[in-house]
Amino acid sequence: MTAPSAALAKTVAVEAGTNANTCYQCKRCTAGCPVAEYADLHPAQIMRAVQLGDLQTIVGAKFIWLCTGCQTCTTRCPQGIDVAGVIDELRMISRREGLVPKDAPFADILRLNCDSISRWGRLYEIELIARYKMTKPATAMDDVLLGAKMFLKGKLSLTPTLGDRAQIKRMRREAERIEAEHRTSARIKAGE
Amino acid sequence: MAATTKKLAYYPGCSLHSTAKELDESFRASAAALSLELTEIPDWVCCGNTAAHATNRLLAAALPANELAKVTDMGLDTVAVPCAACFSRFMVSVSELEDEHMKDDIARVIGRVYGGGVGVDNLIDVYYNEVGVDQLKARTVRPLSGLKAVAYYGCLLTRPPKTTLAEDPEYPTHMDDLLRAMSATVLDWSYKTDCCGASLALCEQSVVVALTKKILRDATTVGADMVVCACPLCQANLDTRQDEIAAADSAFRKIPVLYLSQVVGVAIGLSPDKLGFRRHMVPVEPLLQRAGAAV
Repeated sequence: MTAPSAALAKTVAVEAGTNANTCYQCKRCTAGCPVAEYADLHPAQIMRAVQLGDLQTIVGAKFIWLCTGCQTCTTRCPQGIDVAGVIDELRMISRREGLVPKDAPFADILRLNCDSISRWGRLYEIELIARYKMTKPATAMDDVLLGAKMFLKGKLSLTPTLGDRAQIKRMRREAERIEAEHRTSARIKAGE
Repeated sequence: MAATTKKLAYYPGCSLHSTAKELDESFRASAAALSLELTEIPDWVCCGNTAAHATNRLLAAALPANELAKVTDMGLDTVAVPCAACFSRFMVSVSELEDEHMKDDIARVIGRVYGGGVGVDNLIDVYYNEVGVDQLKARTVRPLSGLKAVAYYGCLLTRPPKTTLAEDPEYPTHMDDLLRAMSATVLDWSYKTDCCGASLALCEQSVVVALTKKILRDATTVGADMVVCACPLCQANLDTRQDEIAAADSAFRKIPVLYLSQVVGVAIGLSPDKLGFRRHMVPVEPLLQRAGAAV
C-alpha cells in the first residue's frame, strides 16, 4: 500500500460529517454486518483503511458494493461513527475518481436507478431491469421467470408513472452544481 | 359516536405503484375504513431511495424536502409514508434540515424555503399513532385468534435511531402491540430487525437468497403461520424468493408474508379482494380461511 495519509479520513469527515479516526477496532460493526460473511473485507477493515488513507485497498475489494445500507453498523458503533455513511461516501469518491471495479454490479444499479428517476421523476422498474440486463448479458436469464410471474400478478408495469419531471431535472442539476462548488472551495481552502 | 376524520397527506413512493400495489390497495382501504382521509401529494417525485444517497448527498436530502414543502401547501401537517425506504429518506432529510448550511443548500436545490414542521408517519406509525391500539382493538370484528405471527421490522423503520427516532431499534414492539390488539398470537423470534438484503435483489441473488432464507427459517422454526411486515422491499423479497429456496432445500417450509395493512384490513372486516392478496406468490388463502375471511 501507499504511505499512510490523513487525507481520506479528512474528506470523509467534511463530506459525510463523521469522524472515522475515532474507530478503535472493537468490530461491533463487523459482528452485526449481514453481508460481511459473503464479502472480501468487513466494515472494521474499511474503517482502518480510511484512517490510513488506503483508498487502494477499499476500491480493490467488493465490500462497499455489497453493503445493503441496513444501518446496523451505524446504530451499534460505540463511538457514534456513521459507518454506513462512510461507506456511502466511499462509493461517491470511487465514482468521482473513476475507481469503481469492473465486478461491482450494484454500482451499475445505482447509476441506472438515478438515471431512471431523473428521466421519469419516478423509478421505472421494467426499464431499469432491461437496461441492467444489457450491461450483464451473462446473467440476462436470471430471474426471468420470476419477473414474468410478477408481471402476471400486476406487480410490474409496462409504462412509467410520471412525477414532476421538470422539477427533478432542475433539482439534480442544481445539487450537482452546488456540490462541485463546495468541493472547489474546500480545495482552495486546503491550499491545493 | 362516529370517529372524527383525520386528514393526512399521502406519499406512496415508486414501489406502491408497482411491486407493492397490494400495500397501496390495502393501505388506502384500511385508512378509509378507519376514518383517515388520505390526499396523495400531487406530482410527487421519487424520494431518491438507495441510489441518491450513494451518489449525491445534497440531492438525497433535497428530494424528500421538496415533498415536505408541498405538504405545507396542501395545508396539512402530517404525511403518511408507508414505504420503509422512503420513510428512512424522509427522516434523513428532516435531520439534515437541522443543519443551517444544509438547509440553505436544500432551499437552493428545491427553489424554496421549507420551514419544517411536517410530521412523517411510517406504516406502523399510522396505525399506532393516528388510529391507536385501543381504537384498532375496538374496531376488530374478525379477531385473529389462532393465528401465530412474527412481526418483521427489517432495517429502515428503526435504524439509525438518531434519524428514525425509534425508541428501541434493537427490539421494536409497536407492530407486535398492534397485532395483539387484533387478537393474533405474536411470537418472539431472532430476526425482527435483520436485513433481508433487498437492495441487492437485482444484482447479488445468492446473497439475497441466503439472507432471506435465514429470516424465513427462523419464522417457521418458532412456529409462525405468517410474517407480518411494513416495508415493500422486504415483502417483495421475502415473498418472491421462496420457490427458489424451496427448490434447493426440501426441508424449507413456505410461509405467507403479509403487510400490516392487509392484516388490519382483514381484522376490521374488509373484503379480502380489496386487500391485494391475489398478488402474492406464496398463497394466503389457507390463512384467510382460518381467520374466517375466506375469499
